[in-house]
Amino acid sequence: MSTKNKALPGKRAILDNIMEYFSFSAIIILLLALSLTQENFLGEINLKNLLRDTAPLMIMAAGMTMVLLFGSIDLSMGAVCSVSNVAFVHFMLAYGESFGNPLLAGLAGLAVSLLFGLCSGLTLGFIHVKLKVPSFIASLGFMSVWQSVALLITQGPESMKKALWPATDWYKISFGVVGLPLVLAIVIILLVYLLTRFTAFGKAVFAIGGNERAARVAGIHVDRTKIMVFALNGVLAALAGVFLAANLRSSAPTIGDPFTLKIVAACALGGTSLAGGKGSELGTILGVFTVAIIENGMNFIGVDAYWQNVVFGIFVLAAIALTVDRRTRGQIIK
Amino acid sequence: MTTQERNTRPLLFSASGITKSFAGTQALKGVGLDVAPGEIVGLVGENGAGKSTLLKIIIGAQPQTSGSMTLHGQPYEPRTPMDANRAGIGMVFQEQSLIVNLNVAQNIFFGHENLFKSHGIISWSKMNRAAQEVLAAVDITDISPSTKVSNLNFATRQMVEIAKVMDVTKRSGAEHCLILLDEPTSVLNEAEVENLYRQMRKIADQGHAVIFVSHHLDEILHITDRIYVYKDGSSVGDLDTRDATEARLYEMMVGKGTTTEYYHLDRQTVPSEEVLLEVRDLGIHGIFKHVNFQLHRGEVLGLCGVVGSGIEEVCEVICGDERPSFGEVVIRGESMRFSSPQQALAKGVLMIPKERLFEGIVSNLSVEENIALSNAHALSRGPVVSAKAVRRQAEEWIKKLRIKTSGPQELLLQLSGGNQQKVVFSRALASGAEILILNHPTRGVDVGAKEEIYAFIRNMTEEGKAVILLGDTVDEYLGLCSRLLMMKDGLVTGEFDAPADGKPSQVDVVSLMM
Amino acid sequence: MIKLNPAASITEEFAEKVRNENRNDRLMKLAPIFVLIALVMVFTATCGVSFISGGNLLNILNQMALPLVVALGLTFVIMLGSIDLSIDGTVGMAGSLFACLVLNSEFGTNLGLMGAVIAVGASMLCGLAVGLCHVYLKIPSFMASFAFMYICKGIGMVSYQGHPPTIQDPFIKALPTASFLGIPFITWVAIAMFALCYFIQERTAFGRHIYAVGTNESIPRSVGVSVERVKVGVFTLAGFLFGVAGVIGAIRLGQGQIAIGAGKMFPAQAAVVVGGTSLAGGKGGVTNTIVGVLIMTVLDNGLLVLGVNPNIRTGIQGVIILVSVILTVARGAKVISK
Repeated sequence: MSTKNKALPGKRAILDNIMEYFSFSAIIILLLALSLTQENFLGEINLKNLLRDTAPLMIMAAGMTMVLLFGSIDLSMGAVCSVSNVAFVHFMLAYGESFGNPLLAGLAGLAVSLLFGLCSGLTLGFIHVKLKVPSFIASLGFMSVWQSVALLITQGPESMKKALWPATDWYKISFGVVGLPLVLAIVIILLVYLLTRFTAFGKAVFAIGGNERAARVAGIHVDRTKIMVFALNGVLAALAGVFLAANLRSSAPTIGDPFTLKIVAACALGGTSLAGGKGSELGTILGVFTVAIIENGMNFIGVDAYWQNVVFGIFVLAAIALTVDRRTRGQIIK
Repeated sequence: MTTQERNTRPLLFSASGITKSFAGTQALKGVGLDVAPGEIVGLVGENGAGKSTLLKIIIGAQPQTSGSMTLHGQPYEPRTPMDANRAGIGMVFQEQSLIVNLNVAQNIFFGHENLFKSHGIISWSKMNRAAQEVLAAVDITDISPSTKVSNLNFATRQMVEIAKVMDVTKRSGAEHCLILLDEPTSVLNEAEVENLYRQMRKIADQGHAVIFVSHHLDEILHITDRIYVYKDGSSVGDLDTRDATEARLYEMMVGKGTTTEYYHLDRQTVPSEEVLLEVRDLGIHGIFKHVNFQLHRGEVLGLCGVVGSGIEEVCEVICGDERPSFGEVVIRGESMRFSSPQQALAKGVLMIPKERLFEGIVSNLSVEENIALSNAHALSRGPVVSAKAVRRQAEEWIKKLRIKTSGPQELLLQLSGGNQQKVVFSRALASGAEILILNHPTRGVDVGAKEEIYAFIRNMTEEGKAVILLGDTVDEYLGLCSRLLMMKDGLVTGEFDAPADGKPSQVDVVSLMM
Repeated sequence: MIKLNPAASITEEFAEKVRNENRNDRLMKLAPIFVLIALVMVFTATCGVSFISGGNLLNILNQMALPLVVALGLTFVIMLGSIDLSIDGTVGMAGSLFACLVLNSEFGTNLGLMGAVIAVGASMLCGLAVGLCHVYLKIPSFMASFAFMYICKGIGMVSYQGHPPTIQDPFIKALPTASFLGIPFITWVAIAMFALCYFIQERTAFGRHIYAVGTNESIPRSVGVSVERVKVGVFTLAGFLFGVAGVIGAIRLGQGQIAIGAGKMFPAQAAVVVGGTSLAGGKGGVTNTIVGVLIMTVLDNGLLVLGVNPNIRTGIQGVIILVSVILTVARGAKVISK
């Protein structure tokens, strides 16, 4: 065993390095290729678009990275994001004016959305951890439930009244090409990074991902840690929903659906392994930008929106195939 | 038959000089085994004596490190269990290998369905008829081949398994087959065991041979013709069953006595009167019951038993990994019901698990992170775990336990087995737990590291900790423990005091375990 | 609480424990049928006897055709202990391709029934690709198939370039209303697919091997059955059935579009699990699935008759998946669920 492990690093190191610099080099190559072939790609307007639209994805990817780090997955994030999105706008429409101050109303709406996210995450975590339902199937059930709840709240898009627009003005603040939403998103993901790297909680997450059984026997709060991560993840998904609402000043009950694959793509491209125990929020930042540039670049060139699904699907598969640990031969994967 | 008779007859199977090493430790140190046609050979020895390893090599599930085997006088080198089957060797595994949602016939002919193909379609009625014959060969006539296995009881499943293995080996066309049975009786009641004996005898009478592994010496003495005794990966001899008695087998299994220095016997502490942990009438339904003992400060209590005796589960209950069905665990006078090891740790109970790779270490984390696994909270300032404190703690333990590593940041998977185990010990000691459960602490560890680990255990008791030990050998138990509790088939069978100057005899201990 | 019998030996206790587990298992096996009967009774009580009238029964039979074909494909995958989330995409893609290839309003092609063969073939290829990614690249099946859901959706939408083709082939147009012995043609296709799947499951070595791979991969491996081949075969078979479902969907709709596949996965997933096929693999089968599909269809039909909001109906499917998995999943301190 030990000799085998020592012989392997050569090949492993190459693979690990590919993954570590994959997103980074992908970003450079994509940027170079696109800016050389497309005029105005690096122009202010497009850059602004690109950077602003990245924020919700970044926030959700921050949560998903943590979930993936201990080897689970949450497929319900997109749907939670939708519900939070429609709930926020719906709340503003229904009670916004009774607050007098639009900002106050916005904060109340935010609180409602985040509370929903927290409850969703806690319940999902409980069902997954305590009732031992595999996370992908539990979150799949939640996805179905929340998708229909979003449609129950509103069938079609709802717009916020002009009087309440000040509640979302913060979203349009920008410093040069970098908007406030992106700054907030990066602050959030860095906070999550600090949480996973430097606290006992984060150490527990990595230990669970590396070897859940060992973590349990060593006396780590395995169940509590996992449920807390799911709860935090739900809050972040809900926050992303509010961001989307602030951006468009309106809601759509299916707005979160396309995000699920993009989130997984960003995490996988950032080098987070689906098996758990390996990865970093910093990699996820790069992964998010890679996804954003690919998406933006395809739009910019005018690639058929239909092809974009195909491209993303293949990217996810490739990224996961590169991060999968194939060391243990004959390992059973379900 | 006597040794002389055997020499005159051609052997069915012979193995010689078989060695097997795993990660630096030797599971088999050059053993031999001969089987003649028509013979039932028993294989006995303590846990970890190498019996199961040898069977796995014979069936082709693992390759030997060195040594050779012959079958019917021809060299025999199986690479997979299929090769073995084709050569006429079959094995009934400890865990049953039947697929419970298929019926009996489909299980017997699993993987060979094409034998019954006509016009591209499998004829199940033809298969059922063939299965009926196979079952009749082991005297099973009361079940239909089209019964789903999930509807059969364990004993019948075991017989179906044997019928299947018999058939697979017979299909090889070899005149004399060899059947390996690894602990086949553990789930059977007396009548069922009797039937199994009858079948084994019948198989042998047809000229085939059987190798039978069991922890129950009475069974071995009852059914076999000849017995091999293994100890620590070598064969300590073979004898005809009619010359054997339980007492003689015990003596052979245990071998020479304890070496005082090896176990640091001079440092064995006298336990204090203070009871740290008490177990009252503990039990898990269907696994063990009526377990009572007290653990004192400064004591090493050995729980002795073979695989399946329930000792592992007793430990799991105490450390919070499993919930008991009955009884209670009392810690420092306080009755506890742990629902996770984390709660047990909060009360000062921690286990060093048996399967280091699967339960003990997080191999893709560094040495320092692994050592801080159980006490990250204690090293935090506010919410932040101090990297400095983690590093300092790791450096301290690396020095104290002489862990060979390039530094605290080396990944654990790059350490040798012995050093990994030292990291696990560091973690347990750093956690501050007072009651430590050591589950096979020296498994897969080389001799030098073993002696060091024994010294760590002495340190623990000198510091006033209490230890429950599950050891690898009786020798180890006697060398380390100040008291021994023997368990067999889920019940406590006896208790010995083992002060440094008055150890009980190994034979006495083993006779209560087997 | 288990009663302590001091006289019983541990072996006897263990045997008793196993007996109890077996008895519970057998009860659980019958549970889906009781659920179905209870559902029918509840709806008859609340909706009136019209619920079990011939007309509504035929309606239910008609409604369950497409979900049944999808669920059959999924059954084999779940029996392996894997899962296929690509359904929405593959079904939609097959439907779209089929409509594009037969005589239609948008494109000049007219391949007739060859179109169906090509569409189903494409779907099979996608199933094969999922299987290969899962087995050889060692990507967990839920992830590989999840990515393929998007890939297939993309291919489907690319095929008709935003203009869903309306089927104009007179023969195909007549199919949705055609019936034989009073049962619609489309339902007959579903019945034929069920018969095929039942045959594969019960009568072929492949079918038996699926159970074995789902139960414990090392058993088939030790007798020389290629676990890899069984798995890839199952995903391909699933692709085939999803393709057939897509073609049925397009015929029924009279048009090819990706939406044919929309929302097909949850009912199928729920039907398979409710029918008693365990997510852990090795248990259940297509007969369980037919009960599961009946339960889901009766439930949906009943709620429809009661006038319940369709969004609530889809939400209920999610709840059903959760509840049935919670009821059947293995628990214990050492079970690690990822």
